[in-house]
Amino acid sequence: MNQSSGSLAGETSSGAQRLADGLKLTMLYLLLISAAGILLFPLFFSLSLALQGPTLAPTLIPDFSKLDWAVFQAAFQQEGNLGRWILNSFVVATAVTVGQVATSALAAYALATLEFPGKPFFFFIFLGTLMIPWETTVVPNYLTVVNLGWKDSYQGLIVPFLASGFGIFLLRQYFMTIPRDLFEAAILDGCSRTRYLWAILLPLSRPALGTLAVYTFLNTYNQYYWPLLVTDSAQWRTTQVGITAFRSSEIALYNLQMAGTLIVMLPTLLLLVIGQRQLIAGLTAGALKG
Amino acid sequence: MIAPDPRPQRSTLPTRRNWRDLGWAVLYMAPALIVFAAFTYIPFARSILLSLFITDPIGNPSLFNDIKYYTRILNLDGSGRDEYLRSILTTFQFVLLVVPTGIVLAVGLALLASARVRAIGVFRTIFTSTVAISVASASVIWALIYNPSLGLTRWVLDLLHLKTEGVLLDPLTALPAVAFMTVWTTLGFNFIIALAGLQAIPQDLYESSRIDGAGGWNTFRHITLPLLTPTLLFLVIIATISAFQAFTQFNVLIANEGPDGTTNVVVFALYSAFFKDNRYGFASAVGVVLFVVLLVLSVVQFRLLDRRVHYQ
Repeated sequence: MNQSSGSLAGETSSGAQRLADGLKLTMLYLLLISAAGILLFPLFFSLSLALQGPTLAPTLIPDFSKLDWAVFQAAFQQEGNLGRWILNSFVVATAVTVGQVATSALAAYALATLEFPGKPFFFFIFLGTLMIPWETTVVPNYLTVVNLGWKDSYQGLIVPFLASGFGIFLLRQYFMTIPRDLFEAAILDGCSRTRYLWAILLPLSRPALGTLAVYTFLNTYNQYYWPLLVTDSAQWRTTQVGITAFRSSEIALYNLQMAGTLIVMLPTLLLLVIGQRQLIAGLTAGALKG
Repeated sequence: MIAPDPRPQRSTLPTRRNWRDLGWAVLYMAPALIVFAAFTYIPFARSILLSLFITDPIGNPSLFNDIKYYTRILNLDGSGRDEYLRSILTTFQFVLLVVPTGIVLAVGLALLASARVRAIGVFRTIFTSTVAISVASASVIWALIYNPSLGLTRWVLDLLHLKTEGVLLDPLTALPAVAFMTVWTTLGFNFIIALAGLQAIPQDLYESSRIDGAGGWNTFRHITLPLLTPTLLFLVIIATISAFQAFTQFNVLIANEGPDGTTNVVVFALYSAFFKDNRYGFASAVGVVLFVVLLVLSVVQFRLLDRRVHYQ
């Protein structure tokens, strides 16, 4: 702050300073707003197309006097399986999330809290799973699922994803921050190992469990490749495969395609808004491991 | 992330309680171990095995084929058919188109979004938003953006004086078009990591550089960039690995090997061999090649991770 109040020079310099700051701030907001506009363009574009009715020549900016909001209902009528796809995706994503959190918590508990011979061996078994890209195992996995008769079933979509190396290491990391004395004391007091996990460790680890759950749900809901392989009939598709198949069907005009896509995207966009903190924590942790 | 156990190892010889805890540990780890055995390790071994055999139509190995699939992929069999080698090259091209652009844009956005001004949270959420959008939905939207009958990308073709119907149908623009869309879908993720990296830089360094009278560019060049380097190296490797595995956008936007085979990336070639042609043995060999490439990238990543840990 310029202390020489009253002097003309001081006044103009702080005035100029204020003007410069104001300009800088305006520039910053202009940049922020234009970046946001460019980034959101594909979403505006899809909403604009969805609301323009069944035209073959939609414009970039819709005619605001006749927006067709009924298109979202029409998408469900035109593609009768849309509701089923959403249900499938929710069933699969929920089951995989619950399963991964459970198997990861159990394994992470053993690695973080118990002392036992051969621990490094198991550690590397879990670490190794992160090194094998799933495209490398996709052929045998597909054959397994076919042989088990699991094509077009929830098992086929869920069971291969019930464990996650990422989940195990994420939770192990968190469990290790909880003082071991707590475990020793609980065991001395006659608490069983399983009860310690259930009644003490898990409630204390809610942030990490939330992170893993949001991250897993999002990834599973957005899966495309595996559901594409193991679902044949329209009713067993998940949202992601369904929406791309709907695109190439003849009944799908531009507005219906876009409406369907927006409906399918809504749950994950909501999840982003509600669970942003957990999601970012999960993604940053995931990034540190690839 | 995978830091070594910081607790001191008490004794070298396991006690009786340690042995009993082994039982419990195996019990707790069993569900994960079973899933990994069934869907990761056994299939991995089977993949390597299958890659050495010609298979029957339902995927049983029927005729030993030695390493002929590998020599075929790497064009060492003297047949002169190099489409799989080209496929690997295309994948690297795709990576080069996606990764640097994506990271530069993400750092730019992160610099903007690290300003401490009103409503910055809203902008951060918007910049993050593409992480929640699946590649499949994004592909359906971008298919219309690139759709020639809507004319939205006509100007790109006019600019390049190309006489094709659409950007996805011309060998010159198809791969860049898919890459551009991929930059968009991965921007949210890259932004999150870049912003986290920026926020980890101690504020007092900026304070002292301002007192020293350093301008915006100098501060960025001499403080931000060097301290952001570990994050950037990380991003490069993660983005490379994920660009290597890109499949959805190719299957939705192009759905074949592309104009003149210019978008036939490795994972798509694997999918075609496996799912369209039922060549299970050959597809397995492609998968193993992919594993080796990604393993090399992962090793580099872990090296960098180690360096970063010592660094700070």
